[in-house]
Amino acid sequence: MRQGERPGLRRWTRHEYERLMDHGFLDEDDPVELLDGLLLVKEPQHRRHRTAVLLVARAVERAFGEGWFVQTQSPIILDDRSEPEPDVCVVRGSPRDYVDAHPMRPALIVEIAQTGLRLTRGRKAAAYARARIADYWIVNLIDRVLEVHREPARPGPAGRHWGYAAIEALGADATITPLAAPTASVRVADLLP
Amino acid sequence: MGAMVDYETRTRRFTRAEYEKLIGLGVFQPGEAIELIGGELMVAEPQGAPHYTAIRKTARALEAAFGPGWDVRTQGPIGLDDESEPEPDVAVVPGAPDDYARAHPSRPVLTVEVAESSLALDRQHKGSLYARAGLPDYWVLNLVDRVLEVYREPVADSTAPFGWRYGRGEVLDASARVVPLAAPGSSIPVSQLLP
Repeated sequence: MRQGERPGLRRWTRHEYERLMDHGFLDEDDPVELLDGLLLVKEPQHRRHRTAVLLVARAVERAFGEGWFVQTQSPIILDDRSEPEPDVCVVRGSPRDYVDAHPMRPALIVEIAQTGLRLTRGRKAAAYARARIADYWIVNLIDRVLEVHREPARPGPAGRHWGYAAIEALGADATITPLAAPTASVRVADLLP
Repeated sequence: MGAMVDYETRTRRFTRAEYEKLIGLGVFQPGEAIELIGGELMVAEPQGAPHYTAIRKTARALEAAFGPGWDVRTQGPIGLDDESEPEPDVAVVPGAPDDYARAHPSRPVLTVEVAESSLALDRQHKGSLYARAGLPDYWVLNLVDRVLEVYREPVADSTAPFGWRYGRGEVLDASARVVPLAAPGSSIPVSQLLP
């Protein structure tokens, strides 16, 4: 049984989520992100996961260059019921542009998956596709491949309302060009710990 | 807590103390029907006319069966455990309403859920939770099949959602009668409960 099929779990709005934080129900020690109105508890991070986050951040920072910045494990706003914290995302502008509100439309989102493959391919992919995130990568640490998800479309796979129509798995010897940085080339090997 | 079903991932759980604080802060929408079930906030299904009619009929039948000295509550909170505050459709507790002016009752002698689309949830999920709390008499008034399911004798079962389930389940049709464990001198026709 998937969580999406659970009857009756109460969904939270982003506004309510912020009130939970204001009232101290959620804090730094409470690794939670809001996705589809669910307060998802993040899995504890393995060292390889952390290393991959740093490698990906460095590689995409180089690939995108000026006019972009890279944030790691920080909130973005997808919709009224989703404020996830992707492992890495690339946002236009500079950090000062987002003093008052979290970024809304990253040009690239990257999730690192070890135990969380099902979540990153399932509920997260659906939520990112629904928000029209054009370029979504999963660094799959189990199979040591990069899964590139593009072309948000509905309906998605496995009965989900949204998903990606084009999914490609790239091995360590491949290179990938981000959609929003068409002249750049990133080696998959540089993303793997 | 017992073994949980394998979900895609976990959601943040709340304690009953946190839940009551959230209610006090007015975080939820007015009139929102929510329950805390094993740390999870669940939304009750919208009530159709048959569902509500069944609740009223059951409450009246139980008031008559139990008589004075008991309070029959409808959709009132039960302080079940540290991570659960369900609002069963009908619950019979000892005493009078004023006895629970400071704290919700925690151990109904009889708990009834009226089920249409929530049958699986009421049987397995809530049934396991109520069994874990040792609630002795749990009835599911099944409007789909027009029967009363009577669950008794909680037993440990590591495969159940909360590590417990009811050891005995009996299905009574509309022509049968039921005797609540805590009101052994009474006898209620099941037809009196069904809408």
